[in-house]
Amino acid sequence: MQEMDLYRHTDTVNELLARYGVKFGIYKNNVFKEQLFPFDAIPRVIEAEEFAYLEKGLKQRVMALNLFIKDIYSDKKIIRDKIVPEEFIYASSGYLAQCEGVMPPKGVYAHIAGIDLVQGKDKEWYILEDNLRVPSGASYPMIARELCRRSSPLTFQQTHIADNRNYAELLRRTMDYVNTGGHTVILTPGRYNSAYFEHSYLAEKTGAHLVTGSELLVENDHLYFIDYSGRKEPVGAVYRRISDEYLDPMNFYEGSLIGIPHLYDIFRKGNVALLNAPGNGVADDKGIYYFVPKMIKYYLGEEPILHNAPTYLPLYKEDMDYVLEHFDDLVLKDVAEAGGYGVQFGSKMTKQEKEDFIALLKREPRRFIAQEVIDFLDIDIFENGECVPRKADLRAFVLMADEPLVWKSGLTRFSRNPDSFIVNSSQGGGFKDTWVLSQ
Amino acid sequence: MKDLLFEYDMHLDFAPPVEEHRFTLKCIPLTDERQLINRLDVEVYPKEFLSTDKDSFGNYSIYGYTKGKHDRFFARVRGQARTGLAPYLTAKEEHQVGLFKYQTDYTRPGPEILNFAKQFESAAEKYRKSCEVSKDPTAPIANTMGNIKDRTCFHEQEIISTNAATSALDLAVTLMHGLYKHFTYVQGVTDVRTTAEEAMALGKGVCQDYSHILLSLCRIWKIPCRYVVGMLIGEGLSHAWVEIYSNGRWYALDPTNNLIVDDQHIKISAGRDYHDCIVSQGVFVGRTTQTQTVAVRVKEINP
Repeated sequence: MQEMDLYRHTDTVNELLARYGVKFGIYKNNVFKEQLFPFDAIPRVIEAEEFAYLEKGLKQRVMALNLFIKDIYSDKKIIRDKIVPEEFIYASSGYLAQCEGVMPPKGVYAHIAGIDLVQGKDKEWYILEDNLRVPSGASYPMIARELCRRSSPLTFQQTHIADNRNYAELLRRTMDYVNTGGHTVILTPGRYNSAYFEHSYLAEKTGAHLVTGSELLVENDHLYFIDYSGRKEPVGAVYRRISDEYLDPMNFYEGSLIGIPHLYDIFRKGNVALLNAPGNGVADDKGIYYFVPKMIKYYLGEEPILHNAPTYLPLYKEDMDYVLEHFDDLVLKDVAEAGGYGVQFGSKMTKQEKEDFIALLKREPRRFIAQEVIDFLDIDIFENGECVPRKADLRAFVLMADEPLVWKSGLTRFSRNPDSFIVNSSQGGGFKDTWVLSQ
Repeated sequence: MKDLLFEYDMHLDFAPPVEEHRFTLKCIPLTDERQLINRLDVEVYPKEFLSTDKDSFGNYSIYGYTKGKHDRFFARVRGQARTGLAPYLTAKEEHQVGLFKYQTDYTRPGPEILNFAKQFESAAEKYRKSCEVSKDPTAPIANTMGNIKDRTCFHEQEIISTNAATSALDLAVTLMHGLYKHFTYVQGVTDVRTTAEEAMALGKGVCQDYSHILLSLCRIWKIPCRYVVGMLIGEGLSHAWVEIYSNGRWYALDPTNNLIVDDQHIKISAGRDYHDCIVSQGVFVGRTTQTQTVAVRVKEINP
């Protein structure tokens, strides 16, 4: 019944979210538009026991992914032992040769991982994607929880929900663990970035400085932050929300105006921590995803706790045969795309589209993966005062400090379109709070 | 073996002047199995701060910044090199050089290169078969230099004569000969942004183009190979050539001169293509036109 009280406040919470600037910026046809990220008050509820199982599986997965990245940029044992074919590494856009032989502070590569899961009708959880570059989304359930507590305090007094407002503490602990001495900053490309709200919110909550590239400079092999009075303060950790390519024009894309020249040179020397470490993209490539269960066995000697959605690599002949035979049952993903772009359902293509796609697939088999369409367990949302079922996923956040930490919450995104499986906020989806019950 | 005296000068002129200039230079040769560098003297001016490091390919880089307004910037490297100390460099294990097998934006072949490559199919097939046989590490090393016409520049003791196999080096040398016959050395028709495919379509170019095309060809058959920047006796500019991974070793081929590198070259840096070996890179504040002048002098001491 307390839940009902919360539901009555949906509009209030959405108004407050708008007032706090919880917006999502998107570029469509080169025009920047900010849109609200619609909040639905019905939470996704995960029982304590079930979350404990997820937590164990997520920790295992992120540990293996970290070991994989470290291996790829150093010994490459997993290539030598033929667990992952080398062309999957070197043909991946996330692999950066500049990162060869570079060891980040404390050996951590993926400090902040956003792991996307879905729950099937069989109640089984499947991993859909690992996001290890600059995953965003934690701030939305953080602020939504805050506002819900304010609107309906009773709900939270009488239900035993794990408090999710500790994300900032977990993040701070992660940043402090690798800090090489100095301030901690959050580096944003600026207010036109799609996740600018998140950058500013996390800075406020963790007590880090929110900075743009022009406020940082490399001098004498160290990084400095120039404060409002022009004073230089040393920086020991940068939680960067800029993609690898733009981070440093001297080492990556030369045309970058938002990066810091020579930042990567001093990172190589161990004089600053970058979260996440550059080059991580090699492990969140959609083609590499197929190999993550093998990595877990290879590096940890354990059976994977959480499973991938059944995935096929058309590069392998038997997988290609399967894909062609079961084309209508599969979802096809372009490994180079993100944010719900480049995802196509075999069953939804016209005859011509199908023929064109198969021709492309045969020409560039490395470019695609195919997955079985998972029969999602729908969850309810409110629409015009009614409860209606919609597809939803869960982005879980795993932080790597002195040990892996799983945030007892997560971002639940849902599709507002009843026929769509695509939940990405850039595609107009909404979000929910994720309650992990504490007992 | 030769003892060489080298001078590498790089000038940048800015009009109007610039400030807040940050630079990275990769123009310093290092001692390795093939060359011994002595009496190295490096001068960079103007600069407020200078640091050094090795990049991910093991190339020596110096980087730093110049804060104040300046209209000139120069780097001068002087030293002596004893070259030709070994016919090859010992390489890492094969699984660690895989990144050099894959095409880059500079080397990716298009119809021109693929068409040109067709004539080498039978040689490549022999190489492919040899690869399958030689998975056994105790197998004899192929007659690596048997089919080279210019015999002045390799070491006799290196040849272990077997006719059984075609090594990556054998295939690369065949490709180099074919390219040399087909391609014409002409300055000024290509620039630093020209890709291998574009140069192939023109049929002419300079050392950078020869090298990119040879890399492109070798990578069609998955031979690990890399782009090398360095200096050559008698050149007025820096030079480029390639290194081929064959049986655990890096062999250097100079496709512009159609020869196996011996003691006339001084190596500065190596990478997947030109982009990994850019000699001078910089960012600065100022709306300016910059002019780069490079002068390289390499001469033999007491020939």
